[in-house]
Amino acid sequence: MLGLAKGLGYTFKKLTEKKVTHFYPDVPFPMPPRFRGIQHFSPEKCIVCNQCARVCPTECIQLTGKPHPDPEKKGKIIDTYDINFEICILCDLCTEVCPTEAIVMTNNFELAAYSRDELYKDLKWLDDNNTNVREEN
Amino acid sequence: MSELLQQAPSLGNTLWFILAAVVLLVILLGFVTYAIYFERKVIGWMQLRIGPNRVGPLGLLQTVADVTKLLIKEDTRPKNADRALFTLAPILAYAPAFGVLAVMPFTESIQFADLGIGLLYYIALSGITVLGVITAGWASNNKYSLIGGLRSAAQMISYEVPLVMSVVGVVLLTGSMNLREIVEAQRDMWNIIPQFLGFAVFIIAAQAELNRTPFDLPEAESELVSGYHVEYSGFRFAMFMLAEYVYMFGMATLITVLFLGGWLPIIPALDFIPGIVWFVLKFSAYVFLQFWLRATMPRMRADTLMSFAWKVLLPVALVNILLTAVIVSYQQGMF
Amino acid sequence: MNQNILTTHAETSSETGIRTEEMLLNVGPQHPSTHGVFRLVVKIDGETIKEAIPVMGYLHRGTEKLAENLTYTQIIPYTDRMDYVSAMTNNYVLCHAVETMMGLEIPERAQYLRLIAMELNRVASHLVWWGTFLLDLGAMGPFLYAFRDREKILDLFNELCGARMTFNYMRIGGVKWDAPDGWIEKVKDFVAYMKKELPSYHQLVTGNEIFLSRIKGIGKFDQKTALDYSLSGVMLRSTGVKWDLRKDEPYCIYDRFDFDVPTGTDGDCTTRYHLRMEEIVQSLRILEQALEQFPSDGEVIGKVPRVIRPPAGETYVRIESPRGEIGCYIASQGKDKPWRLKFRRPSFTNLQILPKLLEGESISNMIAILGSIDIVLGEVDC
Repeated sequence: MLGLAKGLGYTFKKLTEKKVTHFYPDVPFPMPPRFRGIQHFSPEKCIVCNQCARVCPTECIQLTGKPHPDPEKKGKIIDTYDINFEICILCDLCTEVCPTEAIVMTNNFELAAYSRDELYKDLKWLDDNNTNVREEN
Repeated sequence: MSELLQQAPSLGNTLWFILAAVVLLVILLGFVTYAIYFERKVIGWMQLRIGPNRVGPLGLLQTVADVTKLLIKEDTRPKNADRALFTLAPILAYAPAFGVLAVMPFTESIQFADLGIGLLYYIALSGITVLGVITAGWASNNKYSLIGGLRSAAQMISYEVPLVMSVVGVVLLTGSMNLREIVEAQRDMWNIIPQFLGFAVFIIAAQAELNRTPFDLPEAESELVSGYHVEYSGFRFAMFMLAEYVYMFGMATLITVLFLGGWLPIIPALDFIPGIVWFVLKFSAYVFLQFWLRATMPRMRADTLMSFAWKVLLPVALVNILLTAVIVSYQQGMF
Repeated sequence: MNQNILTTHAETSSETGIRTEEMLLNVGPQHPSTHGVFRLVVKIDGETIKEAIPVMGYLHRGTEKLAENLTYTQIIPYTDRMDYVSAMTNNYVLCHAVETMMGLEIPERAQYLRLIAMELNRVASHLVWWGTFLLDLGAMGPFLYAFRDREKILDLFNELCGARMTFNYMRIGGVKWDAPDGWIEKVKDFVAYMKKELPSYHQLVTGNEIFLSRIKGIGKFDQKTALDYSLSGVMLRSTGVKWDLRKDEPYCIYDRFDFDVPTGTDGDCTTRYHLRMEEIVQSLRILEQALEQFPSDGEVIGKVPRVIRPPAGETYVRIESPRGEIGCYIASQGKDKPWRLKFRRPSFTNLQILPKLLEGESISNMIAILGSIDIVLGEVDC
């Protein structure tokens, strides 16, 4: 019986203790600086080296480049850049390999959508996703 | 109230009966609504959560929303279920739980029927609830339900024995089965003191009768998914929920009346506080105990449960009867 | 699945004329106590289990086959998803295997970070086990208390590597991130907090008579059976075999620390319960020492070639995960992708004894036994 009483005592003490619940949807949940959220992509930095698409373990990045509009300059610029967040596992490898930090992580993590189609994020969306960008990549 | 019962039946007093019953039902629904609310709040607080807080101010309308959801849900019935029994089971579980309240004296004046054998009536009627549970378990045509139903049959019937035995001491002490007289007899001392053994047995057996933690085997979320009402949804499930909480209301009332002195104050000096307040306080203390236990205890196992009923509770209850009988006969000068 | 189980036996009692029949009960894949999508077909007579057959594979993702088309770095995020309750050990076992093959030197600081991460994860994993085990037994509270404390560990991981469960923290040759400023102090605070908090766990649960009656003498097996079934971890140690790879085949830098390997003799659920609780204490001990010795600076990733190509050959390494012995076998042909990768998953191996343990037990005991094995379905099905 002593064990039962001890347990009851423990739970009773907890009754008035400070609660640990986060008020998440009402109050934004701050994530630490290193948090891996949805990527931000800046097209002007991209050199179309294709490394991110190659390193991606789930092959969720698709990109195409086009020749530089200025014929003087060599190399390519990015034309389309899509990440399929249905299969992206936010593993951080794409941002790790990117030599120019064109693709970086942000602290935003809310991806829920009513339709799967909305989970295909294109270049423009990823470019606009420019808040809470992670400092160290 | 009781003088109405003495009159010859007429349209007038029949309407009165119905009105009184409806009022009690409404009070009861209010109790159930807020018992569930407080259960979730108290358990939430004990588990360092804050409990329901989204619907209405402080989440006060949470249960209302839940019940509304249940009521407007599609009525599903498994294809191979026994139609008639499946429909009957929730009613069978609910009706006796409500019926027992007829004899409960809440204060000196608020009582529906002042039966001479009030206690016996309660025990007899509450025994029917188990039928509802077994029927539900059988009629659902689901193996988990069946196991849950049979577990509850074994459990509720075994625990009814020590439950009844434990109140025999009170009856001996009072010399009456009338609940009002039992309360009146506690003017000097609540039964919890002379009948402590009986009280302990009663409170444990009541827990098992109510199918609540740590004796919630018939439901056993983590073992039998949810036992006998696994196939029930919508308003039929709401009936079972209602039955469970109404039964808790009944049991809390009974414990207050039998052992905690009903509407009597703690000390006679506090007599100026109305009896109903005392009643509600004692009542709430028991209901709180229920929630507290639920936040703390794991579930018992079927075999230990049964041997506990027959090998521990029953002998203790019998010893209690013997002791009470000896004391009562000593007081009456038999030896 | 063995088809024999599908035939149930019926008989009519000659005395009473009542016909009784055995019943097949499908526990899972959506049962609340199977900790995921695990299915157990049990043949029951009343509530007594006559025969039980586990059906696995509902969460099979083919990690091992997928790995054959992935570079070694790409496999690391996949290992996070095997034993998702203790992903750090999985990260480590893969990196350790590749590093062993390539003979890589791991910087001191990275070693310490790895060890701290793994031990924290062990504590987190045991906390999850503690909570869910009690939840299986019908107590709701412990689950939330355990998760409150686990949450603190996850927050620490979140600061360290930016994720709460799928860490992808370790890299071949080191770790991805150095500890952020003040992180070590936070871990120290946590260790102190956890040491203070553990006695209250015992206060709440360990002395509870109902709880003790639920687990005492349940799911018992002896040393020989444990060895025959190739059990590992607490399942093995509960029978008295003192076998902990951290002690017996020290990897990482475990040989520098002073800790005990708790063992029991009864081999029942009670022993396993106490052993896991004791392991939390030992993990905290290791953490305390590691945090004291933590080097003040240094690299966190060693000299690693740009493309990781282990030499042709094969290797098998094993480490102690919270659930037991997790092993990684790599057969390489000198390419940047493994030719064959195989994980020895402790959950899967430990689960094999389940049908034997369940024979003759009741449904309630079934839940207790399954809970005490401590499986993670991501790892069972891999």
